[in-house]
Amino acid sequence: MPPIDEPRGGAAPPRPWWIGLAVLAMGLVWIYGATSIQSTTAFVGMGPEVMVAAVGVGLVVLGVLLLVQIRQGVTFRPQEEENADADAPPSRRAFLLSLAGVALPLATIRWLGFPLTAAVGFTLVTHAFGSHRTLFDLAVGAALGGGAWFMFSKLGIDLGPFLPLIR
Amino acid sequence: MLNAKTTDATPRLRRHLRRATLGLAGGLALALSAGLALADPAKVLIPANPGGGWDGAGRQTMAAMNQAKIFTDGVNFTNKGGAAGTIGLAEFVRTAKGDDNALLVTGVIMVAGVITNKTPVSLNDTTPLVRLTNEYNAIAVPADSPIKTPQDFIAALKADPGALSVGGGSAGGADHVMLAMLAKHAGAPVNKINFVAFSGGEILAALGGGKIKAAISGASEFRQFAQSGRIRIIAVSGPTRLEGLDVPTLKEAGIPVEIGNWRGFVGAPGMSEAGRKAWLDRFAKLHTSDVWKATLKNQGWEDAYLSGPEFIAFLKSEETNWAQALREVGIVQ
Amino acid sequence: MDTLTQLIAGFAIALQPINLFWALVGCALGTAVGVLPGIGPALTIALLMPVTAQVAPESAFIMFAGILYGALYGGSTTSILLNTPGESGSVMTALEGNRMARTGRGAAALATAAIGSFVAGTFGTLALTFLAPAIAELAFIFGPEDYFALMILSFTSVAVVMGTSRVRGFTALFFGLALGTIGIDTQTGQSRMVFGTLELLDGISFTVVLVALFAVGETLYVASRNAQVQAVMNPLSGGVWMTKEDWARSWKPWLRGTLIGFPIGSLPAGGTEIPTFLSYTLERRLSPHPEQFGEGAIEGVAGPEAANNAAAAGILVPLLTLGLPSTATAAVLLAAFQNYGLQPGPLLFATNPGLLWGLIASLYIGNVILLVLNLPLVGIWVRLLLIPRPYIYAGIVVFALVGVWGLSTSWMDLALMCGLGLIGYMARVYDFPIAPALIGLILGPQAEIQLRRALAVSQNDWSVLVSTPISATLLAIAALVLVLPLLLRRMRRVERRIEEEAAAK
Repeated sequence: MPPIDEPRGGAAPPRPWWIGLAVLAMGLVWIYGATSIQSTTAFVGMGPEVMVAAVGVGLVVLGVLLLVQIRQGVTFRPQEEENADADAPPSRRAFLLSLAGVALPLATIRWLGFPLTAAVGFTLVTHAFGSHRTLFDLAVGAALGGGAWFMFSKLGIDLGPFLPLIR
Repeated sequence: MLNAKTTDATPRLRRHLRRATLGLAGGLALALSAGLALADPAKVLIPANPGGGWDGAGRQTMAAMNQAKIFTDGVNFTNKGGAAGTIGLAEFVRTAKGDDNALLVTGVIMVAGVITNKTPVSLNDTTPLVRLTNEYNAIAVPADSPIKTPQDFIAALKADPGALSVGGGSAGGADHVMLAMLAKHAGAPVNKINFVAFSGGEILAALGGGKIKAAISGASEFRQFAQSGRIRIIAVSGPTRLEGLDVPTLKEAGIPVEIGNWRGFVGAPGMSEAGRKAWLDRFAKLHTSDVWKATLKNQGWEDAYLSGPEFIAFLKSEETNWAQALREVGIVQ
Repeated sequence: MDTLTQLIAGFAIALQPINLFWALVGCALGTAVGVLPGIGPALTIALLMPVTAQVAPESAFIMFAGILYGALYGGSTTSILLNTPGESGSVMTALEGNRMARTGRGAAALATAAIGSFVAGTFGTLALTFLAPAIAELAFIFGPEDYFALMILSFTSVAVVMGTSRVRGFTALFFGLALGTIGIDTQTGQSRMVFGTLELLDGISFTVVLVALFAVGETLYVASRNAQVQAVMNPLSGGVWMTKEDWARSWKPWLRGTLIGFPIGSLPAGGTEIPTFLSYTLERRLSPHPEQFGEGAIEGVAGPEAANNAAAAGILVPLLTLGLPSTATAAVLLAAFQNYGLQPGPLLFATNPGLLWGLIASLYIGNVILLVLNLPLVGIWVRLLLIPRPYIYAGIVVFALVGVWGLSTSWMDLALMCGLGLIGYMARVYDFPIAPALIGLILGPQAEIQLRRALAVSQNDWSVLVSTPISATLLAIAALVLVLPLLLRRMRRVERRIEEEAAAK
């Protein structure tokens, strides 16, 4: 059995019961998925649904175990990293800014193209880490994105049109 | 006076500047348009990742066309792999509409993929151009196998289809469908065949090591292993025997099964008649060139040139044949 | 000593200035693409193929060999310094290597990786030169049941990267297994867990998962919690070279990694990942300092890095002697041979010995070039860590984007990267280990396929799984690896109780 951690510091340890539920739900989705795979087709040996079902059952069991552990008071402490203070309250602004930097391409890469998207994403992430030099960061990001675009296009790796807007 | 001078000088300077900019921009535009008019590169979409069969078909064919001076305006390749080429097909239909210089590499795997994946677009949405190459299948067995002739194979299939484990490429591909057709000919239940899917070179190791009883795959894959005596090729699926390979065709053995892995090109949806004709001419020229003959030889491809209306009719027949075959194997309900 | 004379003739070809130049180009290019996630040697060689139409075959293959080895050298760099593996074979390197970098020992980690790669690459090439025909026979001996047993043995590596809690470790493993079931089932052609999405039919790309869980998850986590942290340990505090103790602790893992990597790499379904898993497990079990594992144990870098380079030499064995491609890179190399109208295999050794022996000789030279190229670079690479944090992490995000978008310019891949990146973030917040998810994703589909092949061939007779000496032995070792530590612990507890009772009396 895993050791039960002593809560450290004053802050209440997180009790992420929803993680248990999410794992449980994922397991159920996989079990449901397994039942919808036709196993009537021609094959010899084990069918295509067995692995999916087994993984689903495993996830359900693990989800239940996680819920039990959380109920028993097992805490889930953030991982210690040299660059990150595990006990510090997380900064919502920094998290959302960096997430925006990662998610931005979903919205813009098709019409803004790779280099510009990379530049803006780069700037969002630097600002999440506390930079305030917007223009400088945009320039660095554009240089990095544009440079990568040219280099890989020369190599034959397709990163989309340079600036689809203009086409 | 000083004042007047400056006011006088400024417009002149501005005028100069404006003229200079205009001239520069004009020149640039001219140069650009001239450049564009001189070289109008073909845009070839390869519906597979770099390194595979379609990638080779696309790049080698265009390289041969360039080398034979048939089309020298350059080519932009885009690789868009996945889902038996149907992702590339969907992308092509969506983005290339009406572009006379847009081509898509295609083949039998895509025909099957459209059917199994039930994609909303199909090859009917494109402008079919040519079939260029074919790779016929072969049946091979381990060197010490009691199966020696195509008839032996059919007999074994009939006796107990489950006991005859046959390796091949992925399920639902040409190898799988060929086995199903053979089972049907043998009168064995198609849903009892024992098809074991392999990828890459694993199938040769499994066959050479006697882990499976037989294998169906491209004839060229088996060749070298047969020469070194590890495996024995017992039949080929083409209409004629292969050069330098003393192995009967299935047809000779009285088994009416002919299946091959063909590859070719289609043009953009709504390609103009002039554009279509231009490309058909280029492929026709390519087909007769010496460069192309050398390419075929190097790549181990069979010449399977089929163009224009014949190719369109061939595509139609492939679609109906495959839909039926895939239903019989149980891949499509 | 026919081999020796031909090898010397090969060196005469490989040492021509023009070929040396191409070897250098290949090594540099390989290192560069190895650093980038998603862009690996297979893709690079495939894209360079038309370029080399003008080059003599000898030169082209010498360059390709440089790319093949160079990518492995480069792959370890980002794993160690930034905790973002560039290739799947470098996942295990990140575990200990990044811990070392964080305690100022990045240079030693990079050095042991580079020297270990050199040692393994050289021994691997020696084995390729002199033992290839014999080792190639392994390909015919291994059947599906043997591969399955090998996968099961590899799964035991999950046990050693489980983290603090078994339940969380297994959850991560099953998450990876679940991702691995998505896509078309090759054995029956049915789509599984794709929910009608065309883009998912080929499964979730390993690169996307790797980039998302490591690079994106790490960036989000550090960003959200880095506001108050200022004091960063000087990344160069540990010096720029390996200490005497580092050497003493590294050389055995190098050799053991080579011994594991080369034979597995030469199997048609072996690959470069499984040897790294096995090597890591072995080193952790054998280390006199098991408590340092997870905190930056140098053995955990030395072993897997040697293993994946030896495996890379191994994949050339079936390719050159039998014409069997066993990995994506090997398949691309095979296509390159065919472009020149050549078919690798025993015949090629007879018809074109100059090319083959030149290629083999260039492998030795490439290894030397890479060592010479990489060791001095270690000091420069480590200085990467001195770049201000905002720019390091923003740069990581841009290169993650290059890797994922460059894969197939697919919007779906970007969406998956965001979603899985969030999960990577959660894993860090709630202390779930990440390595088990990747092990599950890599091994799950392979193990399933081999199991089903074995059962298909045996017509559903499960006893086939222990029917060969290889499979029975491997499964027995797997059982021992899992059970022995438990038994030992219990025995120690019993001993202690006896002692206590004795003391009480």
